[in-house]
Amino acid sequence: MLRAWLRYALAAALLLLVLSPALWLVLMSFRPSADIMSTSLAFRPTLRNYAAVWTGDFPASFGHSLAASLLSTGFSLVLGVPAAYVLARWHFRGQRQVAMWILVSRMAPPIAFTIPFFLAYTWLGLIDTVPGLALIYVTFNLSLVVWTMKGFFDAVPRSLEEAAWIDGAGLWSAFARVVLPLAGPGLAATAILCFILSWNDFFFALILTRTEAMTAPVAIVNFMQYTGFEWGKIAAGGVSVMLPVLVFTLLVRRYLVSGLMAGGVKE
Amino acid sequence: MTRRAAGPSRRTVLAGTAAGLLSFSGRAPAQGGAKKLDGVTLHVTSFSHTYSEFLRAYLPEFEAATGATVVYDTPAFPIYNQRMDIELATRSAAHDVINVTFIYSGRWIGAGWTTPLDDFIKDPRKTPADFDPGDFLPGSTAALKDRAGALHGIPWIADAQMAGASRYDLIEQAGFKQPDNFDQMPAMLKAIKALGGPAAFGTENHYGWQFPPYLLAFGGLIFRNPPNDLHPMLDTPEAVHAAEFFSNALREYGPDGALSYTYDQTTQALLDGKINYSTYNQTFLVRMAEPDSKVAKTCAFSMMPAGPAGRFPNVASHGWGIPAGARNKDASWEFITWAMSKPLLKRMFDEKGYSSVTRSSMIALPEFQKKLTINGFDGAKLYRDTLELAGKGYTLYRTAPPYPPVDREIDNAIQTIVSQQMGAKEAMQQAQQNALRALQRAGVKL
Amino acid sequence: MTTETPLQSRMAAAADRRAPGSSAPARGWARERRRALRSGLLPALGVLGLVTLAPAVWLIVTSLTPLTPADPASFDFSEPWQSYQQAFTSPEFIRSVWVQIQLSLVTVVSQLLLGLGLALLLYKPSRILETIRTGFLVPMVLPPIVVAVIWKVVYTPAISPLHRLAAAAGVPFHSLITNSGTALWAIAVADTWEWFPFTMLMTLAALQMVPKEPQEAARIDGAGPIQLFWHVRLPYIQTTLVVATLFRTIDSIKAFPLIYLLTDGGPGGATQVTNYYAFVETFNFAYWGYGSAIATLLVAGVLVLSLVINRAGGGMAMDE
Repeated sequence: MLRAWLRYALAAALLLLVLSPALWLVLMSFRPSADIMSTSLAFRPTLRNYAAVWTGDFPASFGHSLAASLLSTGFSLVLGVPAAYVLARWHFRGQRQVAMWILVSRMAPPIAFTIPFFLAYTWLGLIDTVPGLALIYVTFNLSLVVWTMKGFFDAVPRSLEEAAWIDGAGLWSAFARVVLPLAGPGLAATAILCFILSWNDFFFALILTRTEAMTAPVAIVNFMQYTGFEWGKIAAGGVSVMLPVLVFTLLVRRYLVSGLMAGGVKE
Repeated sequence: MTRRAAGPSRRTVLAGTAAGLLSFSGRAPAQGGAKKLDGVTLHVTSFSHTYSEFLRAYLPEFEAATGATVVYDTPAFPIYNQRMDIELATRSAAHDVINVTFIYSGRWIGAGWTTPLDDFIKDPRKTPADFDPGDFLPGSTAALKDRAGALHGIPWIADAQMAGASRYDLIEQAGFKQPDNFDQMPAMLKAIKALGGPAAFGTENHYGWQFPPYLLAFGGLIFRNPPNDLHPMLDTPEAVHAAEFFSNALREYGPDGALSYTYDQTTQALLDGKINYSTYNQTFLVRMAEPDSKVAKTCAFSMMPAGPAGRFPNVASHGWGIPAGARNKDASWEFITWAMSKPLLKRMFDEKGYSSVTRSSMIALPEFQKKLTINGFDGAKLYRDTLELAGKGYTLYRTAPPYPPVDREIDNAIQTIVSQQMGAKEAMQQAQQNALRALQRAGVKL
Repeated sequence: MTTETPLQSRMAAAADRRAPGSSAPARGWARERRRALRSGLLPALGVLGLVTLAPAVWLIVTSLTPLTPADPASFDFSEPWQSYQQAFTSPEFIRSVWVQIQLSLVTVVSQLLLGLGLALLLYKPSRILETIRTGFLVPMVLPPIVVAVIWKVVYTPAISPLHRLAAAAGVPFHSLITNSGTALWAIAVADTWEWFPFTMLMTLAALQMVPKEPQEAARIDGAGPIQLFWHVRLPYIQTTLVVATLFRTIDSIKAFPLIYLLTDGGPGGATQVTNYYAFVETFNFAYWGYGSAIATLLVAGVLVLSLVINRAGGGMAMDE
């Protein structure tokens, strides 16, 4: 019993230590601007920084992040889920090559995509637009969806669909009625993972947006200006941007492992 | 003609209704009678600076008077330059009025990416009579002209370098004055350091901008003979000596983490009296005299010190310009003539204290003189003298089109020397080799 | 292409029952399969191709020119290998590769050790540990730019609680990110903080799947914790560890926001990894041809590492 409690205490202490830099940022966001450079723990918390951040252009950038993430996630799911199913159920020539392609596209550094996309978008008028961002996010989201959903579909026993097929159900209707509900939790986890990855993007948004589609992560950097780092706003902005992600992580924590593991290791 | 009203663009066709629903930036066209720019949306951008922030406050007046809507965007300096470079290179029509950044002016104007303004200036229907384009200091417009002499930008700042001290009382106590010569600096810095109070020296970390006055004063050069002979000269003995001198000042007498001090940190440190002596931009040095500054009573100003080869303070002039691809250049020009008009600049000076002006009529005003007389130091004269010096042409290196990578090499070299990764000679030789490579990559014939 | 599975025989039989003799069973099944391919897989592959292959082709094509937008004549293939030659003879490029290798090595090993250690501490099923495990996820899910802001605060002496604490404890230290000897390791610490949860999670999952009997047997035989780990658990989790290592290695090549915000590649290039070098050359100086060459080399490196992942068991379990 003591050993268990020792373990818990040690774990909790380590957790506090590890999270302390992030907690410090949260503290900073409530610090009045006069005290912003001080490191004492005794200060009168204020909501001014949040008020300042949320009455500027920041809410708009939050909205752009939301829109781009939702759009990209939706698009990737619509395309990727059927593809993952097909890959899980049938064998095709070139399957290994497709797997490699998907892996590489997920792993390639963003800079490899940015200039071609920038030029294409300039010609197409997609610079500084939310759909433009959503499209480039597909480069990592689609692979993630196919990758993880294939693992979930692999785990669904075929017998159920086979029963449906025997009864005369079409391929996709069997899929929708039988397989998809069973993979529901996996689908939710994948969707949230896609959302988080899109939400967190910095590089693409930095290069491909200006004012009308600027996302929240880039907006934070805007507070670091030539004439002054507005630390209070930066902290408040940072905390605001991290909140949705933390909430979603709580929702999906059970599946984060499966999400990471699916396609990760052959048993 | 507004961006939004420009017919069924490719964008609408491709993005479809979903995009329209998701677009978060609908702007209603201006209501009201037949105003000059009714329903026009102007996209104006410059880098974040005290001036651009001051101007933001006056934008609603422009909108009310002309019926236009101004979308105003001021990213940080490096981000602005990066974006503008790509945008101009692709002839984008994303912005109507842009800032022509000093160190990119040679490149942008030389490549034909900006619009010549002389036709606008000469047309009495487009330019009000009292705009007085000749009023702008020749030193400030020189960088904004192309090879043929046509003007591509109206300068909003002549950012001059000079020297300042936040705790002149300490300097006097130690028996020194503001150094007029670089020889006089080390002894003064040493004495201040011994006092144990503020850091004796400090400046912001764009060394490609802060270091050249030292380099040139010690007899060094950036290029052999710009704009035609661009052979870099970064590893001459004079250059090495200057680099050693400057890096030493930062390392020995600078604040902890001096290499990471950006404009805001340096300015804040000066205002707090945490850095004493600095060779720095006039725009930020004069902030020490602000009413709520802790060092208002103890600050001092002087010319950039001279070296054996002379005195070479940098002056950067950034200007408002119009991209070559802009769609409504008349509206752009309307904005520029308003922003740079005498009445508005005067108000900016009176109401906001903006003094880095480029209009000689303003500099001649007695109030200008008076406002810049601080603690007995004649700031206006320092400003005029610096501008005059810079007019002699030694700043041509900055507007040579392939200068930006050389700028970064200077940054790197000073960082390397201050952080003691290499000695001055080695670091400057490396900078020279890298600069040669960069120039070759840019297609310069050496 | 494939031999008929029992299912297919049953379906063929069912098709026969529905329409006796009307369609050959093999053709019916093949048609079903083609439909699946077309409607399910091809759209995804098509879009993926559009957004990945097209840019890749453009990237390679551009890398064969000295393209820079300031000079319209620069889209010229007369000296196709010049960008690559410049890269391989540029000390800055070589140095960036070395910086990248150092950074990747240190961060991946640290993440492995930290993740493994925490996993061993936390793997027991328990509500309390479950909550603590969730807490440890935070650094990984935060937006990377927020992580960069957090560490910028920690590493800026003027406002850093760490610096204040150290000074108060009598061991003050100078700014880490402006000292060329420590800048890279400062970034490595921040990077490890950000990504150790990845290794921790993967190891946790693998640990939880280690069968109970061998562990029980070892304990009964009197094995100590170290022997238990080394001889019993490690064999089961080593594939996961290898895969996690490889994933993290590839991801470490993408490091950007930390460097962007903390050091801008400095001081004097001490933290300029290859990815960052490409960014500076492409977006600060508009050397698109040169930048594309470096990016192509990076992608080639990623390709090689991905092949290794595939071999090591991280592939999409294609051959079942």
